Amino acid sequence: MIPVHLLTGFLGSGKTTLLGHLLRQQDFARTAVIINEFGEIGLDHELVEKSDDSVVALSTGCLCCKVRGDLVETLADLLCRRDAGAVPPFTRVVIETSGLADPAPILQTLMTDATIGGRLVLDGVVTTVDAVNGAATLAREAISVKQVAVADRLVVTKSDLADAEQSALLGRLAALNAGAPLLQAQHGAIDPQLLFDAGPYDPCTKSLDVRAWLGEGAHDHQHERHDAEIQTYAIVRTAPIHAVTLTLLLETLAEHCGADLLRLKGIVNIAERPDRPAVIHGVQHVFHAPTFLPRWPSDDRRSRIVIITRGIPQAWIEALIDALDAEVAEVSAPVD
Amino acid sequence: MSAAAEDLTCELLKQSLIAWRLTGTVERRGDGAVYVVGNAMDIRIERAPPSLPFRWMVTAGRRRRGAISLPAVLRQVRETLDPDYARNKVRVAVTSLVPS
Repeated sequence: MIPVHLLTGFLGSGKTTLLGHLLRQQDFARTAVIINEFGEIGLDHELVEKSDDSVVALSTGCLCCKVRGDLVETLADLLCRRDAGAVPPFTRVVIETSGLADPAPILQTLMTDATIGGRLVLDGVVTTVDAVNGAATLAREAISVKQVAVADRLVVTKSDLADAEQSALLGRLAALNAGAPLLQAQHGAIDPQLLFDAGPYDPCTKSLDVRAWLGEGAHDHQHERHDAEIQTYAIVRTAPIHAVTLTLLLETLAEHCGADLLRLKGIVNIAERPDRPAVIHGVQHVFHAPTFLPRWPSDDRRSRIVIITRGIPQAWIEALIDALDAEVAEVSAPVD
Repeated sequence: MSAAAEDLTCELLKQSLIAWRLTGTVERRGDGAVYVVGNAMDIRIERAPPSLPFRWMVTAGRRRRGAISLPAVLRQVRETLDPDYARNKVRVAVTSLVPS
């Protein structure tokens, strides 16, 4: 399986500079890159120095709107060329979105297309935020808020230029996405190991790190983080949840929340399999099938579900789980 | 319907109206049913008779329909109160969350 990383961030936030720096690192030599540029004449791919054909420019439109099919075709073509030896045997793929792209539909495409499903695994989302203009951009551009909210890693760029503005920006980022580690890049320089392998699976160690993936610590106190548009909160349950309850919960969230459910990720104690926690992940109405870990990653066996939403109250989801689990328990109870 | 289940259903419906940004009230009445009132509609939610293959009966105006579970109740209530509601269907990813 080859991990796919999504690199996003608003226009001018430093994605290409960051990517250029990464590709000069030895650890990133075997990386295929897809750069989506919005406009007839793309330049970004010219700015990324790479000596082979594993940099592909997708300039036919914005990935999240028109060219999702093109993305799948490009990925499939890259895999074919890798198999044929036409490009080096890359071990990861980075997709740099256009600055105006909504990452959610791109994530959905990566999750649902059968053409690439057997070979690629979605790793995570890295979002760059410009320290100088980031706060103003977040105040003005809804898509920028969404790019931050769904991130697994946040990278503040140009921090050497913006001492005064940074505290307000960092506060806003924490309100939007407390679970994502906040990293700093100066002139694009950053330790690649901090940046990627953000999914629950670490391809280097071939192990699972669900706690880091969930951003635990940030949600320990169950505080709901409020922003004008986005809320992030963690649902924590001590009692195990029935498997059917989990299925009904995910179906109901998909049905009623749609695009307002920006992202959901969690580890769940399933009543029927208490020794093997289920890992869940969803973007809008698309969900991975729950994956059962071989064992609990720590002594903490509570179910923990991190939810990033636009306007879905935590109280509704809490009430939904309570009512569903009671109904499932009642149906499952032996008849006298 | 047990009192506890009735309480949970009532609370779920109250929170649902808030989540859906719909105006209305939810209350339990003396007949044991839960009533949702909104958008000039009265919706009555009660436990289905054992002879029917449903768990709930949802009555809105003259229309009385069965619902096999609480998600089905929620769908019927929202469709009744919000004519513009278009539900999303869950899609299951074909890619793995972690390599098998």
